[in-house]
This record gives sequence, C-alpha cells and structure tokens, in this order.
Amino acid sequence: MWVVFKREMRQYFTSPIAYLVAFAVLFLTGITFTSDLRARSGLAPADGSVIQGFFAFVMIFLAPLLTMRLLAEETREGTIELLLTLPVQDGAVVFGKFLGAWAYYTLLLLATLVYPILLIALGNPDIGAMIAGTIGLWLYGGSILSVGLLFSALTENQIVAGFLSMAALFLLWLADSIGILFAGISVEAAEFVRTLSLRGHLSTSFLLGIFRPEDAVFYIGLTAVMLLITIQIVGARRWRT
Amino acid sequence: MIEVRNLTRRYGQFVAVDDISFQARPGEIVGFLGPNGAGKTTTMRVLTGYIPPTSGTVRIAGVDVMEDSLEARRHTGYLPETVPLYPDMTVREMVNFVADLRGVASRRARVDEALAQVGMTERAGSLIRSLSKGMRQRVGLAQALVHSPPILILDEPTIGLDPHQVIEVRDLVRGLGAADRTVLFSTHILSEAEQVCDRVLIIAGGRIVAEGAPDALRDSLQRGGRVYLRLANAPELKQVRRVLGDVAGVAGVESESGGFVVQMVKGMDARAAVAGEAVRAGWRVLEMRPWGATLEDIFLEFTASSRTIKRRR
Ligand SMILES: Nc1ncnc2c1ncn2[C@@H]1O[C@H](COP(=O)(O)OP(=O)(O)OP(=O)(O)O)[C@@H](O)[C@H]1O
Ligand SMILES: [Mg+2]
Repeated sequence: MWVVFKREMRQYFTSPIAYLVAFAVLFLTGITFTSDLRARSGLAPADGSVIQGFFAFVMIFLAPLLTMRLLAEETREGTIELLLTLPVQDGAVVFGKFLGAWAYYTLLLLATLVYPILLIALGNPDIGAMIAGTIGLWLYGGSILSVGLLFSALTENQIVAGFLSMAALFLLWLADSIGILFAGISVEAAEFVRTLSLRGHLSTSFLLGIFRPEDAVFYIGLTAVMLLITIQIVGARRWRT
Repeated sequence: MIEVRNLTRRYGQFVAVDDISFQARPGEIVGFLGPNGAGKTTTMRVLTGYIPPTSGTVRIAGVDVMEDSLEARRHTGYLPETVPLYPDMTVREMVNFVADLRGVASRRARVDEALAQVGMTERAGSLIRSLSKGMRQRVGLAQALVHSPPILILDEPTIGLDPHQVIEVRDLVRGLGAADRTVLFSTHILSEAEQVCDRVLIIAGGRIVAEGAPDALRDSLQRGGRVYLRLANAPELKQVRRVLGDVAGVAGVESESGGFVVQMVKGMDARAAVAGEAVRAGWRVLEMRPWGATLEDIFLEFTASSRTIKRRR
C-alpha cells in the first residue's frame, strides 16, 4: 500500500494538472480573502469561515481533477493488469491511491492556512473555530476524493471520470436544497436526502467552530463506503461470471 | 510447475478457451503457439489470476489460482501482451516499484541483476517514455524476473520488434529457462516456437490441436504434405509415377520446375519410403525438401482446418 501511495505522491509533484489545481486554489482563495477583508473593514471582525466555505466549494470542481487519473489511466494503459497480477490485495492498491490523493489535498489545505495565520496576526479571530473548520475540511476532502476515485474506477476515460465526479459531488453538495424538493412527496425522503448534503455537514457545524460527532461520522462513513465500492469495482474482473 | 485441467473461459456466450488441459514442468520452456484470437492471452490471464476461469482448475506451483490467488501470484512472473510500464518512470524506478510491491528482499541486488539479465544496465536511468519498443519489452521482462520466479509467463514477447530485436529477445528467453524454472511463452510464429521451446502446444479456436517436441511436431505437420524431389539423371514423369506410385502413402506425382512434387496421402509420412525407392531405382537424388508450403503455411492450414471443423460442429 505504501509503495502505491509513494508513487501517487510523486506523481502529483510531477503532474501539471496537480500544479494547476494548487495554483487555482491559492489564486481563488486569495481573491476571496482580500475581497472579504475589504467588505468587512470597519464593519465586522474578520473570521476564517468565509474562506473555508469557499475552499470547500471550489474543491467540488478541483478534487475530481486530482482523482480522475488514478484508476482510469491504469485501465487505459493496461498497467492495471500488472497491478492485479502482483501479489497485492486490490484494497491495498485502491487505498494507496486514495491516501496519495488525500495527502496532496492535505498539503493544499495546509497552504490555505496562511489566511487564518494572517488574521491572527492582524486581529484576534476565533482560533477554535478555525481549527475545527480545518479538521472539518480535512475529513470533507477525504470523502470527496473517495467519490472521485470511485468514478475513476468506473471508466477508462479520465475526462468522463472527472465530469461524472464533478456532477455527483455538485448534486451531493446541494442535497440539502434538493431535499426540499422531496418534501412534497415524503418528509422522510426529504430528510434523508438532506442528510446526504456535503455542505450541510460543514456549514452549520465545523465552520462555525462546532464539533458534532455525527458530521465527522458522515464524512468518514461516506469515505469508507466509497472506497469499499471502489475495491469491489476493481476486483470485479476476478469474479466468476 | 503449471497444471491446467479442463480450463474453459467464456466471454458472454463466446467460448474463448474451450476445455484445455496441459502441464508444464520445471526446467521446461513450453511454447504456446496459435493464430490471432486462438485464446493464448485469455489462457495466460487465467493463469496469472487476472481473470477467472469459467470452469476448470489451474494450479501454479501446486497452488490453485482461484483458492489462493495471492500465493499463486507470488510464484509467477508475468509479461502481459501490452507491456505494462509507466512512461513517466525511469527504468530503474519501474523495476524498483514492482520489486517493492512484491516485497523482494535485498532489492538493490535483485534489481541490478534483473537489469543485467535483460541487458538494460546502461539505460537504467532513462525514462521509459524515451525507450524503443524492444527496450520496453526488456524492461517488461526485467520486471517479470525481479523476484526470480519459478514460473514465468510471457505473452508474445517478440511481437512488434524488428528482426534484430526479435533474435535478441529469443536468445534472452532461451537463457531464462533455468534448471527449475517453468517458462510458458506464447507466439504465433512457428519457427520461433521451434527455436525457443522444448515443447510446443498448438492452440486454435480455443482448443489444443497438437502438442509435442518441435521436431516431432514438424514431422506430424508435414504428414500429408508435399515433397519436392530433384534427380540428377532426370527420368520421365511416367517412369517416376510407376516407381513411386506404388509406395504406401503416396497419393500422386507431378513434374514441377525441373523436378517432381510427390503428394502424400493425408495423415501419412512416406518421405523415408520415397527416398528409399528413388535410390533403389538408381536415381541420384540432388534435393528433397518440403514443397510449396513452408512450415508457416502448413501450420496455417492445420489451424484453419481445425477451426472449420469446430465451426461445423
Ligand atoms: N474482454 C473480452 N471480451 C470479449 N471477447 C474477448 C475478450 N478478450 C478476448 N476476447 C475474444 O477471445 C478470443 C481469444 O482472444 P485472445 O486474446 O485470448 O487471443 P490470442 O490468442 O491472445 O490472440 P492474439 O494472437 O491476437 O493475441 C478472441 O476471439 C477475442 O476476440
Ligand atoms: Mg494475445
């Protein structure tokens, strides 16, 4: 597993897409940060939640760029045949790749900590909220990357994998709003769809500095389910038909 | 040791491998010979645990590939048909990667040895992207060899190479057959199987249609073929027909470019008798060789006929 992880990490540091993603993250959050500061100046004390909420939103579109390659390219290039005929569990391959992507995401997340640090230097914001927000974003990242990895396992076309995961993540992000549409049909269904919302578990808790265990469980659970399904998809070639 | 028993593999309704059984013993290089679509790759993929059999059993070094796939894979080195390499890695990184995934002890020494075996030591630092096809093939071999596996499965390692590289890779494969190693080597070139292998399995339409040592196989393939005979004191066709027409196994004689073509009865090899009769008749034989069909042609005929038989059933 660590061998696969190491390869994927190295891959990110030589891949132009990974650099573009890093650039986009820092550029977009930088703009948001300064405009947010300007809007608030003299009115409200600055806090980190705007920038963190924004980071979570752009990741809906950038995380798939990090994961689309992972399994789709192996299938297209035929290297999957090598990996699956080595004495390595399918799970180790999938998990190693996931960890590689998550580690790179973690680096991006750490890079955006410059903004909270600037705020601390400038004033006295709620440090507890910032820490909670960062932990929340970290768990959130694991779950969106695992969704992306699943779509990468489903197709050998990277672009298709990327678009499908963006679409899926966008729907999940909005699930709280979508849930309201179900309200007319059944309250339970509406409630259920609402709990699947990616943003719901972030904006009303972690980003406000509130740690609710069920939110952490949601992200970790989503990650685990996605990875398990991905392992099944990869191993499906070996099922007797 | 590879033991395959009643292996069948279907893709949907299509039967790609149809109830084949064979064994390959340690110290043997076994050639897997068949035309495109014969089922060579499919069989090898089942052997290496990449796809499951529809029915039948495969044992690698005594381990059933369905029961304990990981253990079976540990004993096997595999070069797939499309050589699986990461273009962004250097040769050494690539072989290291596989060695690490296999948990090879004393990795550095083993990787060096594998690279030396395939003659890629000097190019160890080159990006795979920049290598020629023949060199990639060698890296693929190094990757398959890095854990000194007792069983080596090579899927058409010479395909797409220039004649010079083909010879190099053939020599390499021949050198890989060590005392206790089993090598299974697929190809669709008969002469290649003959040069490299101790034993050849001919597969066509998913079935093994012939099996044996290359020499024996060559004989059996030529049985029922035609022989060109050239004589110094050229007799008349009538006379030749009279002498050879009575030999058991001869179907007919025609004159052809200064000599004669003797047609054998299907399934019989009358070459020795023909030569004996010719000498007894006092003819001086200048030349006697298979006619028309090269080994390749005969092989094609053979596999094609087995395919039409199958279709008719
Ligand atoms: N994934 C697949 N799905 C459906 N049919 C397949 C699949 N893979 C192979 N086949 C079919 O099975 C048959 C055997 O294919 P296989 O690749 O084993 O042949 P081969 O002997 O390796 O041929 P070649 O010399 O071209 O490599 C072919 O008719 C092929 O079309
Ligand atoms: Mg093939």
